[in-house]
Amino acid sequence: MSDRFRLCPTTGLKVHAQADALIKANAVVATVALLIGGVTAVLVMLTRWQAIHLLPADWFYRLLTVHGMNMLIFFILFFEMAVLYFASAVLLNSRVAAPKMAWSAFVLMVAGTGLVEWTMFTGRADVLFTSYVPLRAHPAFYLGVILFAVGALVVVSIFFATLVVAKREKTYQGSVPLVTFGAATAAIIAVITLGHGAAIYIPTFLWSLNLMHVDAQVYRLVWWGLGHSSQQINVAAMVSVWYLLGGLTVGAVVLNEKISRSAFVLYVLFISMASAHHLLVDPGMGAAWKVWNTSYAMYLAVLASMVHGFTVPAGMELGQRLRGYTKGLFEWLRKAPWGDPGFSALVFSVIIFGFVGGITGVTFGTEQINIIAHNTLRIPGHFHATVVGGTALAFMGVTYYVIPLIFRKRIAFWPLARIQPYLFAGGMLVFSVAMTFAGTFGVPRRHWDISFQQAPFEVQYAPAVDLVIGVMAVGGLVAALGGGIYILVTVWSVFFGQPMEKGARA
Amino acid sequence: MSFHGVPQGVTSPPAPASAGEDESHKTPGTLVLVFVFLAAFVVYYFVNWKLLSFLWRIG
Amino acid sequence: MHTGLESPTGVWWKPAHRTEKLWVAIAFGWCMVLFAMMPLWHWKGGQNPTGIRHRVTAEAFAQRTQEFIDTYQVGEEAGIPVVEPPAGSDIYLVGAMWSWRPVLRLRQGVQYTLHLSSVDVNHGFNLYPINVNFQVVPGYDYGLRVTPTAAGEFQIVCNEFCGIGHHLMVGKVIVLPAEQTAAVTGGAP
Repeated sequence: MSDRFRLCPTTGLKVHAQADALIKANAVVATVALLIGGVTAVLVMLTRWQAIHLLPADWFYRLLTVHGMNMLIFFILFFEMAVLYFASAVLLNSRVAAPKMAWSAFVLMVAGTGLVEWTMFTGRADVLFTSYVPLRAHPAFYLGVILFAVGALVVVSIFFATLVVAKREKTYQGSVPLVTFGAATAAIIAVITLGHGAAIYIPTFLWSLNLMHVDAQVYRLVWWGLGHSSQQINVAAMVSVWYLLGGLTVGAVVLNEKISRSAFVLYVLFISMASAHHLLVDPGMGAAWKVWNTSYAMYLAVLASMVHGFTVPAGMELGQRLRGYTKGLFEWLRKAPWGDPGFSALVFSVIIFGFVGGITGVTFGTEQINIIAHNTLRIPGHFHATVVGGTALAFMGVTYYVIPLIFRKRIAFWPLARIQPYLFAGGMLVFSVAMTFAGTFGVPRRHWDISFQQAPFEVQYAPAVDLVIGVMAVGGLVAALGGGIYILVTVWSVFFGQPMEKGARA
Repeated sequence: MSFHGVPQGVTSPPAPASAGEDESHKTPGTLVLVFVFLAAFVVYYFVNWKLLSFLWRIG
Repeated sequence: MHTGLESPTGVWWKPAHRTEKLWVAIAFGWCMVLFAMMPLWHWKGGQNPTGIRHRVTAEAFAQRTQEFIDTYQVGEEAGIPVVEPPAGSDIYLVGAMWSWRPVLRLRQGVQYTLHLSSVDVNHGFNLYPINVNFQVVPGYDYGLRVTPTAAGEFQIVCNEFCGIGHHLMVGKVIVLPAEQTAAVTGGAP
């Protein structure tokens, strides 16, 4: 590996060999995590579907832990590391600052992941994703998370350093592109998030060694500074990918740099709000704390998403109109490249994130309404719409561009790839809406047996619940099929795919 | 050569948008979509307040 | 015009166009509504998660609950004591792996202060079938003023993962109808 660049024949971008390799390595590990998370997703779901009730209780909670950690932490963050290298080195035609350190960070993250996987699969960490103290896991579980977070923090630093290098070496003219700007806000949020991560996992690690005391409520407060902020990284990264895919697929224009960039800044400024949403029916905080920290009186992070929810499609519309699709209200949308999986993934990601994830999230995050939402299935219904239907789907869409542009390979099983976003989005939409609906009946999340066979008192949910859970399972299976196709297509393309024509060396 | 297996945005990237500024910035289609979104938001939000009001009194 | 992948050159801090301004203004207005509803509901609404909140040790809370049970116990169901506290009193419900103690027998239309806590890990209070949810955190006493508005049998499902027996953790609340309330309170000294 050297400091060589190749010229991308399609986009004309200069791609640093190290950036290429780092993007590939992170994307491959992300896909492995996605596979583990996906298989466990199906097993967990077939257990919650009481008609099948597949797993015993211990394995249900164990694999639910595995599913949460792999999807929300390992898959998403490894992918975002790849996005950071792409948005800095590739989009700015720059070299990666400190490639050796970048590889050490990668090794650290993989080592941390390995530790966490080992503790989870061997039953040493049946504490679920949130690992609420005083539920106790093996110290190696917390240590693994810490190693992973340190590695991620190093990658984020290298991202900032690469921005500086690119600026100094004048690899681009003017300001950084909007996509890079968005990725930078994601990186800033990542620093805040990982700071909270250190603030909670280091004491918890010491607690697991019986070296200090950790208060259960303080844990929840600080942990959610990590837990929800990490989802804010996803939001900022996803919106950046929206702008990226809009540009790549239909030449979406930036309506107004000021508005889009200011909206990204609002994500950074209002990041703590979402964390407070997890504590609305907790005993540790008062009403004023809850009202204030839910909203900072203005809900400006919600405003930011509503702004992006306008500027992304409007940029696509204007881009299409400039290219002659001017008839009526929706010719720009009708004549769009619906057979391009990058485009269909983008559109479904915007719709599912906004209409299902966004609306439910803001509603459940209201202080009082949280009383009828907290810890019911409404919550996973909400975040499967945001993180899976929104972020993961957008990331899937961008992969169909990363493979030809970075891996220099054609997409294998192209007809399957073209329908993949439809399957995944359709399945996920049904899954998350059904899950949310089941939650309105009070069905709890993270529960092995809602028929309560062995409980001292009988609880009999409305017959509609059985139906809705069945619908949820069908949607989930379709989504899992879509996810499986994604993994098949990407892995096959990368390792056995037909190469694109060789890129010229710069 | 065939472009099978490569997304359209790579094989035939969108033509560069006209260099000048489009002063009108008319995006009527999007405006309709976002108002549909807002309506859905308002309905869902207030339905939840209504659901909440059916509970026991809690304070 | 340019895409989000290209570096804008020159000054890009330009005034927004009319539609963009319109949408930002409407969205901001909606955000203000979202905010205003919360204080408004504290003022006018009947369901708020405020409560009376204290720190408490597991031992102290367990002891207080035991005293409460000893004073007002009227029976036993599924091995769990049933208590019938007087109207308007402080009532206690303790979560422990994996049960809710005691079974509460309350009266419709009467306000109680329901104290929730846990003696081990986090638990979740979910009142079935009316879907009321609160977090039950060890070390904290969450005192909620509740007024049952309908009679009947309610179950308390634990909705926070609390270990392998999580699904066993179901408690019970019985609310006697208002007519009986009148009879009981009328007969009481």
